[in-house]
Amino acid sequence: MLDWIRFIITALFLLSGLSMLITAVIGVYKFDYVLNRMHAAAMGDTLGLLFCLIGLTVSAPDIWTALKLLLIICLLWVASPVGSHLIARLEVTTNPHWHQLTGAEKDEDQEVDV
Amino acid sequence: MSKRRSDWQNRPQERFVRWMREGYLALDEAIEDSVLQPGEAPPEVDPELAAQHQEAALQHRHDRDLALDRLAQYDLYAWTLTKGRRLIGRLHVLLSLLLGGMIIFFLLGTVAHMPRFGAADVPANNEVITRYIEQGLAETGATNMVAGMILDYRAFDTLGESTVLFIAACAVLILLRIDLDDKGQPTQQLIAEESDDRHYEPKNDRILQGTAILLTPILLLFGLYVILNGHLSPGGGFSGGAIVSSGLILYLNAFGFKKAGRFFSYKTFQWVSFGALGFYGVAKAYSFYCGANGLESHIPLGTPGAILSGGLIMPLNIAVGLVVACTMYIFYALFRKGGL
Repeated sequence: MLDWIRFIITALFLLSGLSMLITAVIGVYKFDYVLNRMHAAAMGDTLGLLFCLIGLTVSAPDIWTALKLLLIICLLWVASPVGSHLIARLEVTTNPHWHQLTGAEKDEDQEVDV
Repeated sequence: MSKRRSDWQNRPQERFVRWMREGYLALDEAIEDSVLQPGEAPPEVDPELAAQHQEAALQHRHDRDLALDRLAQYDLYAWTLTKGRRLIGRLHVLLSLLLGGMIIFFLLGTVAHMPRFGAADVPANNEVITRYIEQGLAETGATNMVAGMILDYRAFDTLGESTVLFIAACAVLILLRIDLDDKGQPTQQLIAEESDDRHYEPKNDRILQGTAILLTPILLLFGLYVILNGHLSPGGGFSGGAIVSSGLILYLNAFGFKKAGRFFSYKTFQWVSFGALGFYGVAKAYSFYCGANGLESHIPLGTPGAILSGGLIMPLNIAVGLVVACTMYIFYALFRKGGL
């Protein structure tokens, strides 16, 4: 009985994580500018991975494996947003027309400090 | 009538060309017909005048051909922008699907033909594997059987791999390094690269620096753990070296070449790689020499499972890890701006 409950929880988490990742991939292909694409990709990087790893944590055979998986979540949550930030920063530094490309209103007051 | 009306016009190539030009030939034909309209016999004219007229007609025809050629080229260009692009795009999708399907088919077929997991009668299950499994722990002293294999039984192979890494780093160094000129002054290219890098580098990025402060020590420690524990648990020189170098690269990204250069320069790379490879070669030469001649090598194997065990495996892991870390770091630095 307990095994079944655990299996169902794992499956639910993994499925929601996978659907998150699929959404992210569709978004990456749907948009055609890097800053827009990153917005979609970040979903998969954070929430999708979180769901997948929580699912694996639930199904882990012992407590130490579960703790290691939680550590991996911490690492990914620290590292992947920073990676996205660096990509966005490079784009904003090197491309002066990013306002038009994103379709955002250019805010004259807010200077991008690079 | 005219020569163009003969049968070659209805060949598939011509029809394709006509389809491509989309009605261009109708215009062509109209011009052609009007020019070559059969009339009554030409009246008598002055031969000089006739020659002049003929020349003018030839010139006119040449100009017209040229113009038509240009038109055809323009049409072809327009075709590549509209129909052609669609056609190539569809072809691309079709070929990608075919390729993907073929790969899936063959991989699944291969998997379906593989022996069952753990079956006793697979060809790989021979006396070599039996020997590794039964005698490996006693002969190498390493709990991690893979480390015992790659750094003891097949250590020569691993030396070759490390040397390949070193040679690759040297080749990249030769190709990409932007050096000082003959007088020791920085060249124009070096200055340009430097300013470019300063411009694009995430310099003094608070977020990245905070992350680097948090993660670099963890990465370095974890890499060292993987290297030093290579004979006890999965891991070893190659993976640990990659982790260490990722920590170094993170530090370099966050704090720039100036700070990273304080602990890693070309000299460091030279001496660490040379020392590690030299130590590896000497140690393994000694061990092979003793083993081949039936001598006692006096390298204690220790108790299996302890951190100081496995004979030469741990020092060799350290050597491999150093080479891998240095190589990956210098690859990154050279590809980024051509120098340290």
